[in-house]
Amino acid sequence: MSKYLIKRILRSLLSVVAVVGIVMIMVYSLLDKTAIFSKDPVFSKMKSNGKQIYMMQQWEQYGYLDYVPYADFMLELLKSGQIDQATYDGAIKFGDKESDDTGLVKEYVELFTKTYDAKGYEVERLPADMLGKSKAYKDGGEPKLYAYRNVPVLLRLWNYLTGLITVDNIHYVQEDIADRGLTFSLYDPAYGGEKFSPCIMGNGTRHKYLLYTDDQFPYIHQNLVKISLGTSYSINKGVDVFDTMTESQGSFAYSTVTYPSGAVSESADNIHSATYVAGSLETGTIVTKANYVDDYTNVTTYKNGLSKMGYSFTIGIISVILSYLLAIPLGITMALQKDKLLDKLGTIYIVFIIAVPSLAYIFLFKAIGGSFGLPTTFDMEHPTWLMYILPIISLALPSIANLMKWLRRYMIDQMNADYVKFARSGGLSEGEIFTKHVLKNAIIPIVHGIPGSVLGAMVGAIITERVYVVPGAGNLLTKAINAYDNGVIVGMALFYALLTVVSIILGDILMSVMDPRISFTTKGR
Amino acid sequence: MAENIVNLDEFQMSDDELFAPVSRDELESEKITAPRYSYWKSVFRVFFKKKINIIVLSLLALMLIFAYIYPLIIGYDAAVDPYLNLRDSAAKHLGPGEAIEKFGFNIKWILGTGASGQSTFDAIWYGSSISVSLALICALINMTIGVIVGAIWGFSKKVDIVMMEVYNIIANIPYILLISVVVLILSASFWSMVFALTVTGWLAIAYFIRTQVVIIRDREYNLASRCLGTPITRIATKNILPFMTSVIVTLAATEIPSYISYEVFLSYIGMGLSDMSLGKLIEASQNAMLTPGWEMEFWSPVVVASVIAVVLYVVGQNLGDASDPRTHM
Repeated sequence: MSKYLIKRILRSLLSVVAVVGIVMIMVYSLLDKTAIFSKDPVFSKMKSNGKQIYMMQQWEQYGYLDYVPYADFMLELLKSGQIDQATYDGAIKFGDKESDDTGLVKEYVELFTKTYDAKGYEVERLPADMLGKSKAYKDGGEPKLYAYRNVPVLLRLWNYLTGLITVDNIHYVQEDIADRGLTFSLYDPAYGGEKFSPCIMGNGTRHKYLLYTDDQFPYIHQNLVKISLGTSYSINKGVDVFDTMTESQGSFAYSTVTYPSGAVSESADNIHSATYVAGSLETGTIVTKANYVDDYTNVTTYKNGLSKMGYSFTIGIISVILSYLLAIPLGITMALQKDKLLDKLGTIYIVFIIAVPSLAYIFLFKAIGGSFGLPTTFDMEHPTWLMYILPIISLALPSIANLMKWLRRYMIDQMNADYVKFARSGGLSEGEIFTKHVLKNAIIPIVHGIPGSVLGAMVGAIITERVYVVPGAGNLLTKAINAYDNGVIVGMALFYALLTVVSIILGDILMSVMDPRISFTTKGR
Repeated sequence: MAENIVNLDEFQMSDDELFAPVSRDELESEKITAPRYSYWKSVFRVFFKKKINIIVLSLLALMLIFAYIYPLIIGYDAAVDPYLNLRDSAAKHLGPGEAIEKFGFNIKWILGTGASGQSTFDAIWYGSSISVSLALICALINMTIGVIVGAIWGFSKKVDIVMMEVYNIIANIPYILLISVVVLILSASFWSMVFALTVTGWLAIAYFIRTQVVIIRDREYNLASRCLGTPITRIATKNILPFMTSVIVTLAATEIPSYISYEVFLSYIGMGLSDMSLGKLIEASQNAMLTPGWEMEFWSPVVVASVIAVVLYVVGQNLGDASDPRTHM
C-alpha cells in the first residue's frame, strides 16, 4: 500500500508541476504582454522613452523578462572594484545618439553589449527624444540603454518551484550584522519578559521570531519555513498569495504591546512578525526609533476579521457538514420511498438545482432571505452570526441536491443487486438487509467525496462570495485574471491543483479504509 | 368471439371443396413471426406515453420559436434596437404597466423596459437565441469528440495510460483561467467562446464515457463475442454503442443546460460574451434586483434562462429514460 501511495503521490506531484507549467505558458507566453497596462493609470501618463522603460520595469516585476539598464551594469562594475569612481563618472553619461559617445563611454557600452549579448540578452538603445530643435528633452525623452531577455518557461518554472519553500537561516541578512545566531528564551520579551512563553529568536535571519507561542490558535507559531506561492503585483501589491489568503482582514485590533526597546503602548502591531529591513532603524520615524532597537522593524498588524481563507473555510465547512447531515438521511429516504411523494418532491428539487443556473438560485435565496430580514451582505466590522446564514444556505442547498442524487442512485442500484435478493431469500429482514448490506455498500462512493468537499471549502465559492460580498478567497483567481496579476494566477493554480490531487488521494485512502475489499495494490483486470 | 363461429353447413359444399392442403415451406417455417421492432419508434412511443413529456416538449418548442423566430419576425437588430429609446429618459426602467401606457399595447412591452429604454421582452428572446445556440453547439462538439475519444480511451489500454495523465493535468487547470486566456487572445465573440468551452470541455465527457466503456467492455457477452472473433470495431458499434445510447442521451441532458448555466456564470464574473446573451442581460441588470419597481428587468432573464434550462433537462432526461431498451416492454 505505502509503495503504491508513494508512487501515486509522486505521479500526482508531477502532474501538478505540469499544470503550473501550462498555466505559466498560458499567462506569460500566450497572452499579450501589453495587456497588463490596460488598466494602469501610471502608464497612460508616461511618454516617449520613459514609457518604454516603464514597460520594461513592469515586465520585470511581473516576471516576463530580465531587464538590466546600463546604469545597473556600471554600478555593479564599480561595486566589484573593476573600475574606479572617475571611470564610472565618465562612462555613465552616454550621449543622446550613439555617434555622440566619448571614447570612454564607447568602450563600456561595447563591454555592456558584449557581456549581455553573450548571455542571450537583447541590447536596445533608445536615442534621445528632443523637444523640437531645442536642446531640451521631451517629457521622458532622455536617452536609454538597456538589455533584456525573455525568461524561458523552463527556467521560470524551475525558479518558481525552487522558491516555493524557503527556510529562514542566520545568513539571510547580507549586510554586516553583529552576533548572528539563534537565542532561545523561556520568557518572551514581547510579553514584557515575565510571562512564561518559550520562543526562538534569530539575529541575521529574515524573521526575528522563528518560533513563538501565544494565546491564539494553534498556540505555537513559526516563521522558520515560509511558503511562497507567488508575489502579487496588483491585487495586493508585493504580498505573497499565500499571505494574502491567510492574513487577517478588517479594522485594527489593539492590545498592549511591549516593543523591543521596552516601550509599552496600545497598538495593533504584531511584534512576532518582525522582519529585517536593512537600515530601517536609521531612516525610520521617531516612533520607530523609540520602539525598536535593531533593523527588525517591519511588522504586520493584528486585525479583527478572519483571513480570506478563514471566511471561506468557515462558511464552506459549515455548509459541508450541514449538507452531509441532511443529504444522507434524505437520500436514503428517497431511495426507500422510491416513486412515492417524497421521492418525487426530492427529484423536483434535484432537477431545479441541476438545471437552473446557479447564479439564478443564489439570487433567489438572497431575495427570499432578504425578505425574511436576514442580512444579505457581509459586514466584517459588525459581525453577527446571522450574516453567515445566507451564504451557508446558498452553498449547502446545491451540494445537498448533488449528494442526494447520487446516494439515491447508489441505494437503488444496490437494492436491485443479486446479493440483496439472495439475502432476502435467505430470510433476512428488510431492516437487516438495509443497514447491514445496502447502506454499507451505497455509502462508499459518497465517502470518497468527503476529503474533496472539506478541502474544497478552503477555496471558497465564486458566485456566493460575490453575491453576499464575503471577503473570502473564492474571488482571488477571477480578480487576478482581470488584473493580469500573473503571480497570483500561477499561485492559485498551484494551490487548486494541489488541493484536488490531495483530496483524490485522501478519498481513495478513506474508501479503502471503509471497504477492505478495495485495494489499490493488486492490479485490476 | 361467438359471432365469428361460422357453421360450415351453410356453404353446402363438400370438405374437399372447402379445404385445400398447403405445401410445407422449410424456409418460411424458419422465420420468426413477431411484430417488426424499430428501436427509435419504440423510444418515441415510450417517450410520448408520458403526458408530462408532451407538455414539456411543447413548452420547449414555444420557447425555441420565441428565441429563434420572434426576433426574425419583428426584425430585431442587436446593433439598433437596444438603443432606440436611449434619449428618452422617461422610457427607462418602466414596469410592464407603465410601458404599455406609454407606448401602447404591444407584446414587446409586456415585461417593461430596461436601463436604456429597450424592451426587456425582445432583449431576453434575442439573448436566449444566443445562449441556446451556444449551449447546443458546445454540447454537440463536446459530445461528439468526447464519445469518440472516450470509446477509444476505454478500449485501448495503451491509450488509457497516456490519457489518464493528460486528464490529470488538463482537469487541474482552472477552467476560468483557460476561458479567459482564450477570450483575451481571440476576443469575446461567440465563436471564440465556443472554442474556449470546447477546447478542453470534451475531456470530462470522454472520461465519463471511458468509465462506462470499461464497465461493459469485459462483460460476458462481449468476452464471448471476442472469443468468436468479432472485430473490435464491430463490438464497439453493435454491442456497446446500443448499450450506451441512453447513457449518452442522459449525459447530453445534463450537458446542454450546464452550458447555459456556465454562460450566465461567466458573464456574471465579467468573462462572458460581448453579445447580449442571457448571462450578459442578467449581469447588466443585477443592480435592478434590489431597486423597487425594476425587479422585472432582472428576474425575467433569470426566469427565462432557468425555464429553458429546466425544460431542456427534463426533455433530455426523459428521452434518456425512453432510449433505454429495458423500458420498452
